[in-house]
Amino acid sequence: MSPVPSRVLITGVSNPLGAEVARRLAPQVPFLIGCDVADPISALEEMDFVHADTRQAAIGKLIRQLHIDTVVHLAVMVDSPYNERAIHETDVIGTMNVLVACAGPSSPVRRLVIKSSQAIYGAGAGDPSFFSEEMASTERPSSSSMTRDLLEMEQLVGEHILRNPLSAVTVLRLGFRLSEDTTLATYLSLPVVPTFAGFDPRLQFLHEDDAAEAIVRAVIGGQAGVFNAAGDGVVLLSQAIAIMGGRPAPIMPPYVRWLSRLALRGVARLNLPAHLADVLAYGSVADCGRLEAAFGWKPAFTSRAVIDSLARGREVEVLESPSPPQEFELQVYLQRRRREHGNGSRALSPPTRATSGPTSP
Amino acid sequence: MIERTERRRQSREAKIVSPRQTMRLPAPVRRLRRKAPLYAMQGIAELSTRLKQMTGHDVIDLNRVMDVVQFVYKQQELARRGPDYAVDDFGFDPQWTESFLPLFKALYRDYWRVETTGVHHVPAEGRALLVSNHAGVLPWDGTMIKTSVFAEHPNPRHVRALVAGLFMGMPVLSWFLRRTGQTVGHPDDTRRLLERDELVLVFPEGVRGTGKKFKDRYRLRRFGRGGFVATAIRAGAPIIPVSVVGSEEIYPMVADLNPVARLIGLPYFPVTPFWPWLGPLGMIPLPSKWRIQFHPPVHVERHPPEAADDQHLVMAIADDVRNTIQKGIYENLKLRRGVFL
Repeated sequence: MSPVPSRVLITGVSNPLGAEVARRLAPQVPFLIGCDVADPISALEEMDFVHADTRQAAIGKLIRQLHIDTVVHLAVMVDSPYNERAIHETDVIGTMNVLVACAGPSSPVRRLVIKSSQAIYGAGAGDPSFFSEEMASTERPSSSSMTRDLLEMEQLVGEHILRNPLSAVTVLRLGFRLSEDTTLATYLSLPVVPTFAGFDPRLQFLHEDDAAEAIVRAVIGGQAGVFNAAGDGVVLLSQAIAIMGGRPAPIMPPYVRWLSRLALRGVARLNLPAHLADVLAYGSVADCGRLEAAFGWKPAFTSRAVIDSLARGREVEVLESPSPPQEFELQVYLQRRRREHGNGSRALSPPTRATSGPTSP
Repeated sequence: MIERTERRRQSREAKIVSPRQTMRLPAPVRRLRRKAPLYAMQGIAELSTRLKQMTGHDVIDLNRVMDVVQFVYKQQELARRGPDYAVDDFGFDPQWTESFLPLFKALYRDYWRVETTGVHHVPAEGRALLVSNHAGVLPWDGTMIKTSVFAEHPNPRHVRALVAGLFMGMPVLSWFLRRTGQTVGHPDDTRRLLERDELVLVFPEGVRGTGKKFKDRYRLRRFGRGGFVATAIRAGAPIIPVSVVGSEEIYPMVADLNPVARLIGLPYFPVTPFWPWLGPLGMIPLPSKWRIQFHPPVHVERHPPEAADDQHLVMAIADDVRNTIQKGIYENLKLRRGVFL
């Protein structure tokens, strides 16, 4: 169990959360490499990037040959426009592949941080008001494929922990996030928000910054175990809609929910996953006491602050714009130079060849 | 200084917000709308004095009228809060709940004429677990126990009742119950509420209690597996048994259409002399005479928390509590002159 991570791999680095985690980790670790199927949305000079699919065994070669000691597995899709099949492939098969790559005595990996979601608990009428970490179990009936996938994924993680006592595994169940592109944010931003008639659930949110911070803290000397991470306090759905400036319309019948989801897709072009439909009827609140006790830290944004910031973000322009394309090219260029000249070392040697530059092939 | 420049840098320019352009009603109509409640009150007051002069006793009780007016104003005030209010983690909104109290107090005083005894056994502060019998098809007894503690106790407190998950899955009830402080009947929720030093009300009979037939209306059902005692011992909270008499008669359930209930996913489908024959009218509860008795607390907090695993002790205490409540029901039945008197 190495206390300080030195060679870190981040999977799924091309989503906004992965990019933010990489940005925060970069100054703290000596070697950082990210992988994803898609191109990175922002480049970092300190981070190497390769196209690698967690669903293929190549990830194992990558880990062993680069002597990765810490894997941050963020390639877990929870809120995604893809179909159930693709999500299952990524979440269950992809995680299985990563775990296989980290398993065994020959593996250099000593720490593993895995992103999971509060969606693992599902939501139902008879559920307790707060979900604590041990309440995710396969015995609870869950209708949504997302919940089943996450349960299967964490079951694999559990088996991995039993077989590999040498590596410390942290599973972070992140609360529902409200960045601009999540389904929940799109739903709450509708001018007229159709809700389930006669239901006004409690919702709990997690700010993007807090999500990234939780993952970084888990990587840098975090405790092993399963942790919920979500903002303090709750916001009622009707409150959230009013804060966003919308108007609630209790028109969706509460019982046959897949029909409402179909109608939403047709009318509002919003693909509401089944687990979110359950949350919008019964609500889902996680107890983050364990995280606070183990990390000595809790999310800075309360649920109310998260929805407030989303509402404000709609009024003003985006404060922190993503890096412009020129910067991306520059970073790629610098990285390539570093590899050519420095041979892995950080120091940049002055240019010797006149041909070296962004125009060179 | 730095703070000020920082604040100036982060602040946004104020913009002039013009009032929303809506159709303006003519001045006399607006004046009438503003003054209408006042005129109505004056009219009622005059009518009341006239009637008093004519008949010699109060026909219209002005205090009750004031309650109604206050209720309307309170609701308008609450509507003006917009989204700027906070609910606790269970979804409880005390301000909103208190706005509904006049309605429940009217039911409590005028409709069911509840007589409450032993309310001093409820602690003024700190945790306690109220355990009550459960009857009547709909959980009106819970609302009346809540109202009695808020109206009669020298230190008004909100009782947080635990509700079957079934009711939490019903439209309207799902949010109304939560917003007025109820939560799901789950041991974890009980523990959390008690740890926050709340007053928690449980009905160990559960839906078996509300679904009992009219012929065994005064007989208590089995008290679950004594889970409430174990939770109380772990949380160190005294148990206060509560006997409610009168809720048994609000819906005299003569039969239970089990197949229909199973079809729509309910634990029972009641048939009363009025339901379902009269439709929504059949849902009006009958004005029976109620009595609520709070018994002296059972101090289970004397036991160490480990005693909660002692199944023998837990079942013994649960039986004691059950007997106290059952005896209380029979005593209060004797004190009551008649079902509707």
